[in-house]
Amino acid sequence: MSTLEPETGGPASAGQAADGWSNPLRDPRDLRIPRIAGPCTLVIFGVTGDLARKKLLPAIYDLANRGLLPTSFGLIGFGRRSWSDDQFRDWVKEHVRTRCRTVFRESTWNQLTEGIRFARGTFDDPAAFAHLGEIVLQVDADRNTHGNHAFYMSVPPSAFPVVARQLAASGLSESAGDAWRRVIIEKPFGHDLASARRLDETISSVFESDSIFRIDHYLGKETVQNLLAMRFANMLFEPIWNANYVDHVQITMAEDIGIGSRAGYYDGIGAARDVIQNHLLQLLALTAMEEPVSFSSHDLAMEKAKVLSAVRLPEDLAVHTARGQYAAGWQGEEKVCGYLQEQGVDPASTTETYAAVRLDIDTRRWAGVPFYLRTGKRLGKRVTEIAVVFRKAPHLPFESTATREMGQNAIVFRIQPDEGITLRFGSKVPGSRMEVRDVNMDFDYGRSFTGASPEAYERLILDVLLGDAPLFPTTQEVDLSWRILDPIEEFWGTQGAPEQYRSGAWGPAGADALMHADGRAWRLP
Amino acid sequence: MIITLNDATTRAIAGKLSKMREERGEAATDRVLTLLISCSEDELEAALRAANEASREHPCRVIALVPRDPDDERAGLDAQIRFGADGGAGEVIVLRPSGELTKHLDTLAIPLMVSDIPAVAWWPGTPPQDPSRDAIGAMASSRITDAGRSAEPLRAFDALRRHADANDVDLAWTRLTLWRGELASILDQPPHLPVLRCRVSGQKDDLSTLLMAAWLRYELRAPVGISWNDTGCRLTSVALTRADGDILLTREAGGTGSAAILPDQARLLLPGEKPQMMSLPCRSTADCLMEELAQLDPDNLYASVIHSDFDFSEDRV
Repeated sequence: MSTLEPETGGPASAGQAADGWSNPLRDPRDLRIPRIAGPCTLVIFGVTGDLARKKLLPAIYDLANRGLLPTSFGLIGFGRRSWSDDQFRDWVKEHVRTRCRTVFRESTWNQLTEGIRFARGTFDDPAAFAHLGEIVLQVDADRNTHGNHAFYMSVPPSAFPVVARQLAASGLSESAGDAWRRVIIEKPFGHDLASARRLDETISSVFESDSIFRIDHYLGKETVQNLLAMRFANMLFEPIWNANYVDHVQITMAEDIGIGSRAGYYDGIGAARDVIQNHLLQLLALTAMEEPVSFSSHDLAMEKAKVLSAVRLPEDLAVHTARGQYAAGWQGEEKVCGYLQEQGVDPASTTETYAAVRLDIDTRRWAGVPFYLRTGKRLGKRVTEIAVVFRKAPHLPFESTATREMGQNAIVFRIQPDEGITLRFGSKVPGSRMEVRDVNMDFDYGRSFTGASPEAYERLILDVLLGDAPLFPTTQEVDLSWRILDPIEEFWGTQGAPEQYRSGAWGPAGADALMHADGRAWRLP
Repeated sequence: MIITLNDATTRAIAGKLSKMREERGEAATDRVLTLLISCSEDELEAALRAANEASREHPCRVIALVPRDPDDERAGLDAQIRFGADGGAGEVIVLRPSGELTKHLDTLAIPLMVSDIPAVAWWPGTPPQDPSRDAIGAMASSRITDAGRSAEPLRAFDALRRHADANDVDLAWTRLTLWRGELASILDQPPHLPVLRCRVSGQKDDLSTLLMAAWLRYELRAPVGISWNDTGCRLTSVALTRADGDILLTREAGGTGSAAILPDQARLLLPGEKPQMMSLPCRSTADCLMEELAQLDPDNLYASVIHSDFDFSEDRV
């Protein structure tokens, strides 16, 4: 369910154009015709990287195959390899063919391939950008892309400033007339508030602020969007979505893998900056925010910012935050090394691979309802979920033995894997005695809407090309998230080495102590 | 897998279904709709193939009603339950009533429909004159016809048009979605000039071509001409004329009216720009069915288009 579709097509693609003209073929009553991006060229920096290979290129093909890309579409890869256009096309085709979600159709590929070019060069070489400029112009002419260009920075953040400067120096970032320029950046958006601001200044000195799209691929996931549908389209849940009924909320993102070959990126960053700052705080915002006036980018961002600005840190950070590093051991049947033994990691590193925090939200709706956020690597399994745990009933008209097996009611949003929603409540155990035990009621996305959900990147890339931004975090949201995280990081900086935890289980003892201090326990996800 | 139940009762079929569900550990609540197919024996297998493909996106219980000889003195019911590889992402129940039973098909389907979810009726071949008053159609919240596949498409469609209910739709309209999407996005781009006149071409008497003409005439308020050809492909080209020249979207390989058709592709010609090829696959019935099942609310635009100046008695060449 995609709740974020504007009611009458996309604001950029449909309805009213800037000159007041409205397209007679876009009837507001027409619910069938898709939003198709306008003519444009997408330039990908770092096209040979993992992200481009595994996610971006297949997503672009799938969009084309679903008929959502324009005929006038150019795709330019920028990289160091000495490839011809044809070699690059073959390489793209190979990766698209193995990774695409929809069927591989030659006719779709033929349409796409004509607009594919490769630009060779390094980020510090002005001549390479001048050459890129020529290729872009040539694609504009060959493919009638009307001079609209999007730049995808699939590169380490340290490269953003230099690429941005080169785009400005070569004139690529400037547009003439109606043509647009957009830039897409991936996390991390800095490593604290100050660096995030610097990064933002660099990018916004080159691109208009409404042309900058920060990708948080979690927000492109259908289940995350369904959170909004579930909260705001139904009568059933919103009345109990407050401190009167909710006891606390647990947001978990667990990974069963270590850092792999990402030591260079990960060491010094850590779990909190890598995951809590963006994904988990966004999930918190969507769970806790008030109803937006509409699902337009502006209204949605306003509500998210409002709730993020009301987040209060725990008074005693030593009690209500926890961090850890995975130790050598066994992950299931696999023998694994500890974080400090990973290749490329400083053996004295204090970078955390597990982080948990308690946050409170100072609003009438959430007063007294703690939000517990945790994330970690090498945990028991790969799972992301939001669990809203309800208070116990104030009075139970049963004998005390009847309800001793009953826990608290809960609604669990499973973001991945097994996307869906679980409702947990008590039910009578069959038999002559009255005895109540917890049972689950389950909605499984994959069963009710089988298999056809688009990948997060398909949705997000299409939104960029349409210029429609409700699913992208704004500068303000990024700022607010760093404001929440910075004091915690600062505190951790004074605490020496993080606690070691067993690989393949559920994190350090400190995280359990955090919950016990409040008389609660982590759910077993 | 296919289970055959000859001389069956609906109670026995329902019992068998719930037993199978228990054995396979499934819940009927995973189904999002009941699809009622009303067809003849020759149309059955093709219809089930399309329904099974569509059910992968919209898990449904399919109930196919295939009446046999109504004059048979013996009133009886033969049934099949298909599931697993033969049942898509749900299960298929084929009901073959004969004699008296063919006269009240609805009472056969009612005990087998999944509770509390919408039912959709689909006639893959000749539709009834008035789907919403048909015994099967009346039980459904949406009704899908495919008049183009009946023996006399124009006559069948004319009847549907006269009896149209807000929840009825014909697949001739669904087949146009990709074309309409492309045309709308072409007009999104500047220069934003009014369309002065249009011309559509397609296979003689093709309903999709007629609907395209009607849609353009309704939305653009411009004269629309139709050219018929014998390419064997439904809609083959649309030309929109503006002050800056002609916009042409065509499947025809050579000039207009040529018999050669591009497979899965179309050519787009815009004034002052190089011709471009685009992927524009012919939509399969399963594709169209998926679109309909995704969208169960009334299509008010379709209703306006078929009630607009929709004149197919006259050959507007």
